[in-house]
Amino acid sequence: GALGPTSGASCRLLPLLLGLDAGSDLGRGFVPASEQRPLQATACECLRELESCKPGLLGGSLGLLRGLLGQEGPVQPLSLLLALALRNTLVLQSRVGAGLGGLLTDKVPPTGGGPWDWTLVEEGDGRLQPQAPSWPAAEEGEGERSLTAREHSPEEARELRAAVIQLLDTSYLLTPVAQAQLLWLLGWALRGLQGQPPALFKPQLVRLLGTAQLTLLHAVLALKAAFGEALFTAQDEALLLRRLTLAAQHPALPPPTHLFYLHCLLSFPENWPLGPEGEEAAPLLLGPQLCRGLLPSLLHDPMALLARLHLLCLLCAEDEEEEKGQLPSPRHYLEELLAGLRQRAALDEGPRALATVCFQASYLVTRCLAGQPTVLTPLIHGLAQLYRVRPMLASHFVDFLDQVDSELREPLKVVLRQEVVSRPGRDEALCWHLKMLAKVADGDAQSATLNFLQAAAAHCTNWDLQQGLLRVCRALLRAGVRGGLVDLLQVLARQLEDPDGRDHARLYYILLAHLAGPKLGVALGPSLAPPALASSLVAENQGFVAALMVQEAPALVRLSVGSHGVKGPLPVLKLQPEALEPIYSLELRFRVEGQLYAPLEAVHVPCLCPGRPARPLLLPLQPRCPAPARLDVHALYTTSTGLTCHAHLPPLFVNFADLFLPFPKPPGGAGLGFFEELWDSCLPEGAESRVWCPLGPQGLEGLVSHHLEPFVVVAQPPTSYYVAIHLPPNSKLLLRLEAALADGVPVALRTDDWAVLPLAGDYLRGLAAAL
Amino acid sequence: MAQRAVWLISHEPGTPLCGTVRFSRRYPTVEKRARVFNGASYVPIPEDGPFLKALLFELRLLDDDKDFVESRDSCSRINKTSIYGLLIGGEELWPVVAFLKNDIIYACVPLVEQTLSPRPPLISVSGVSQGFEFLFGIQDFLYSGQKNDSELNTKLSQLPDLLLQACPFGTLLDANLKNSLDNTNFASVTQPQKQPAWKTGTYKGKPQVSISITEKVKSMQYDKQGIADTWQVVGTVTCKCDLEGIMPNVTISLNLPTNGSPLQDILVHPCVTSLDSAILTSSSIDAMDDSAFSGPYKFPLTPPLESFNLCYYTSQVPVPPILGFYQLKEEEVQLRITINLKLHESVKNNFEFCEAHIPFYNRGPIKHLEYKTSFGQLEVFREKSLLIWIIGQKFPKSMEISLSGTVTFGAKSHEKQPFDPICIGETAYLKLHFRILDYTLTGCYADQHSVQVFASGKPKISAYRKLISSDYYIWNSKAPAPVTYGSLLL
Repeated sequence: GALGPTSGASCRLLPLLLGLDAGSDLGRGFVPASEQRPLQATACECLRELESCKPGLLGGSLGLLRGLLGQEGPVQPLSLLLALALRNTLVLQSRVGAGLGGLLTDKVPPTGGGPWDWTLVEEGDGRLQPQAPSWPAAEEGEGERSLTAREHSPEEARELRAAVIQLLDTSYLLTPVAQAQLLWLLGWALRGLQGQPPALFKPQLVRLLGTAQLTLLHAVLALKAAFGEALFTAQDEALLLRRLTLAAQHPALPPPTHLFYLHCLLSFPENWPLGPEGEEAAPLLLGPQLCRGLLPSLLHDPMALLARLHLLCLLCAEDEEEEKGQLPSPRHYLEELLAGLRQRAALDEGPRALATVCFQASYLVTRCLAGQPTVLTPLIHGLAQLYRVRPMLASHFVDFLDQVDSELREPLKVVLRQEVVSRPGRDEALCWHLKMLAKVADGDAQSATLNFLQAAAAHCTNWDLQQGLLRVCRALLRAGVRGGLVDLLQVLARQLEDPDGRDHARLYYILLAHLAGPKLGVALGPSLAPPALASSLVAENQGFVAALMVQEAPALVRLSVGSHGVKGPLPVLKLQPEALEPIYSLELRFRVEGQLYAPLEAVHVPCLCPGRPARPLLLPLQPRCPAPARLDVHALYTTSTGLTCHAHLPPLFVNFADLFLPFPKPPGGAGLGFFEELWDSCLPEGAESRVWCPLGPQGLEGLVSHHLEPFVVVAQPPTSYYVAIHLPPNSKLLLRLEAALADGVPVALRTDDWAVLPLAGDYLRGLAAAL
Repeated sequence: MAQRAVWLISHEPGTPLCGTVRFSRRYPTVEKRARVFNGASYVPIPEDGPFLKALLFELRLLDDDKDFVESRDSCSRINKTSIYGLLIGGEELWPVVAFLKNDIIYACVPLVEQTLSPRPPLISVSGVSQGFEFLFGIQDFLYSGQKNDSELNTKLSQLPDLLLQACPFGTLLDANLKNSLDNTNFASVTQPQKQPAWKTGTYKGKPQVSISITEKVKSMQYDKQGIADTWQVVGTVTCKCDLEGIMPNVTISLNLPTNGSPLQDILVHPCVTSLDSAILTSSSIDAMDDSAFSGPYKFPLTPPLESFNLCYYTSQVPVPPILGFYQLKEEEVQLRITINLKLHESVKNNFEFCEAHIPFYNRGPIKHLEYKTSFGQLEVFREKSLLIWIIGQKFPKSMEISLSGTVTFGAKSHEKQPFDPICIGETAYLKLHFRILDYTLTGCYADQHSVQVFASGKPKISAYRKLISSDYYIWNSKAPAPVTYGSLLL
């Protein structure tokens, strides 16, 4: 762009700014003398921002800037600019393994009217440099490491030291916030540099420690983090801690400052930290004596109270083997304080914030003092008491139970359940009790819970209450309670006024009656799908949809029609199922297209596993007319994850031949006479025809034995066969196959059903091909 | 070290939005750096509207705290500093430095020069303290001498120009916005070299130095076994040095009389150039002993032009100036109260005013009152359920006064009578309000000899002192009262 590194505009801008900054003739020509300094300052600010965004830009101008600072330039803008450019240059040079060279001493502007030198910026990849890196990041940062590794030549080191001393010596001329920036910049620039003793900063420290200025004390902490013991002896560290402790409670400072200092205390960069990094902890030197004034009381506002409470908890945690007698026990104080908070939360008219802070404090205590029964036991009982007094805090209790560890959750659930069920009956708090119970009800103390619910049911007169009641039932269902719950649900399904409530109760009852425990668990478990609305009812419905409603799924089962067997009075289709995954409770449903047959019974298979052979399924057909048909097949099954699925299978075809049945043998035996009798009976209502039936290589005998064997009444192999077929419900098909030629046989056929004729013709003509 | 954006929001409870953005400014070059530094965890600065809503919600300043809202009321959402993460459009903007003062919410977002996930510890983010200082600076500017809304508006309209100087490109250079105002007002004529950045011009005129010492005394009195009464003096020394020269060197000393109470916890103005280690280490944290440093407290400094707070201190005087006891008993339908106040003989018995406020919380309006007092008059604010005992300018010769009586209350109506989460049942307090001019409880003073000026001309020195009560509570000794840990240390 216009201001890109290589553009003409930026090549002119930088020298212009530097010229203005230097108060050169260029600048003088611009403005009257009285405006010279503000103009210089503004040019500095612009350059500083450019250097911030393009680190290394001013690397070549360090000497110039130093010179200006020593002469008449405005101190503050020049100091900040020089410090920033110096820091960036140090980082960039060390990255490329170069020294400072003469950068700090060259007083000639590098431009000299020629194009601007962007080489340093390019070497830095144009990467932004944190002006004051966060501490852990700085320790891990590779750039910082190489910075420490780099050694400067003695002259370089001397010049660098001189520049830093120059900056620090005039730092009192800067505003406090600018001083703080300077210290952050220089502190992290010099960290670990050889030949640059951190003691350079010492003369500033006492002055800084005395102030109340947040930025200055914060900058001292940054120096502490950067240099540790090299700058702060153990005594210095103790003094700094004392000043910080004092500032964290000084009545003359505003509350946000107190809180920030308190945070600094708990994250104090100790010389020799003991605890794990990144966790808030009281520094070793911060004993109970120092903390005395930092402990919480009920008079503090919520944030101060919680911050101080954290400190108190840390003290209590350390205080395992406390010295008796000297001080009031912090643990006892903590207990009193929590009791006070609960008392406030119990106030009828109290704002919600009072309750919130009470639960936040309790949560903080359980986090810091987990595993300390002396603290947790009274806490549990105190909370139970709070619930007794103000059940409308149920939402807070539910949230609290969700957040705390099981160490506290389980015993608290027990006492809260007792609180609820021990005072049955009607009162305004019933909706809260039901909310609470839905959270804490489980398999224990069933009878008391059920008694409570039974008593409550009579008072659940509106939709809200009924839903609350049903939610508890649901919780009990999930917990596997069965016995008394069945009765309760039955009563609810009849008694509840609201139809929605009755439906729900009936649903739960049906679920309870029909589903086994694990399935019930899945059905009532949390929904897998995120609810579209933040409503519990919707969430519940979605849970049901997933678990109870039948899911449409691709078919996990395949069906094939097996070989035709002829037995019994009805044609039977033999089906061979095959599963792709383990499936349970398979139900196959068939529908005959065109209602050609009577409706078909569903077929049940308890379990199908892939690879394990399954018994064939027999499907008896009851034709209403003797015709082939198409069967629609649906499968309903449960997967191993407990979901019920529905799948549409490819249709099955019932062929004309699948309907063939032999005639029952007459008492006198089947013979020619029997056949003739059937033959004659077909006319005059029936029909007669002759069909040419092509023969394959196997000849007539092969054809008959393969297709018509069960129906042959009279046979004179290999030339003549009389076949009688019973077509349910009550049609006949009679065939005479005689005088076969090499490639076919003429078939004389009779039937008592006109409609059969074309079917029979097609059948006979297709036989040879079907072999 | 820079700020990405700053907002001033007036809190207006009862209006639909509960607040209005009065001023906001964003810094594009800083935002650009934020995008690079924060990388994938970068969250852009939102528009004013969504920011306002999210901030008010987080600070619990929306009017709807009737229902439990998990994202605000959950016990695990614990904030222990005035630095927040705001949920805006599904992303969390952090760190937002914000606080409410005088119905204005001051907020800014400092640049964090690294990725935000995981969050770096606050202590390591340099922009946080700069942000606080920035907001405190704006607050000082808006409320120094500001009396009404139109003045506030005028000052708000000056802010854009001032921030151009005080915080160019989002980097705070001077938290004292008045300096910037002076800078814009008079283009200083050829300032000489080594002009401090915190001093925008030079003084011309008669040299004079004024030092005023204001002490506030707070107290918690219980009159109970096992609980110690506590009291503390907090001093503020304000100076104005009208001296010629660019950087006049001045030493101001504070003195104590022989029986004075040592000053502790001394915090000084940054213009103080060096500090005696005895001043630095005298602290209320340590147990008191006779060897405590008792002055003179010398502060060498180069003063700024404007009035400044030279130092703050605390002190532990041997006795509270007024010792009281308060007894309140609930007797069927009425409350019986008995109050005794005793001025300590060492205290100057010449008040500008002295009152005892006796509030009755969580009750109805005062219906009926019968009382007897040995001194002063009683004013009754029936609707506010408040009694004010006006003691006046002097305690009687005996130094001891009393008030007793019975009060009955009408039915509670929530709008008018005050609610208090602490004063439940018989837990109650009375609060003393008084002011004594030309007096300090510690005895601390400055005089003609307190100021050394290393410049031409002897300045006129004026010194002022006053004692004010602040949070001076006397609790009903017949009921539980909130205690601090310190009160349990007998």
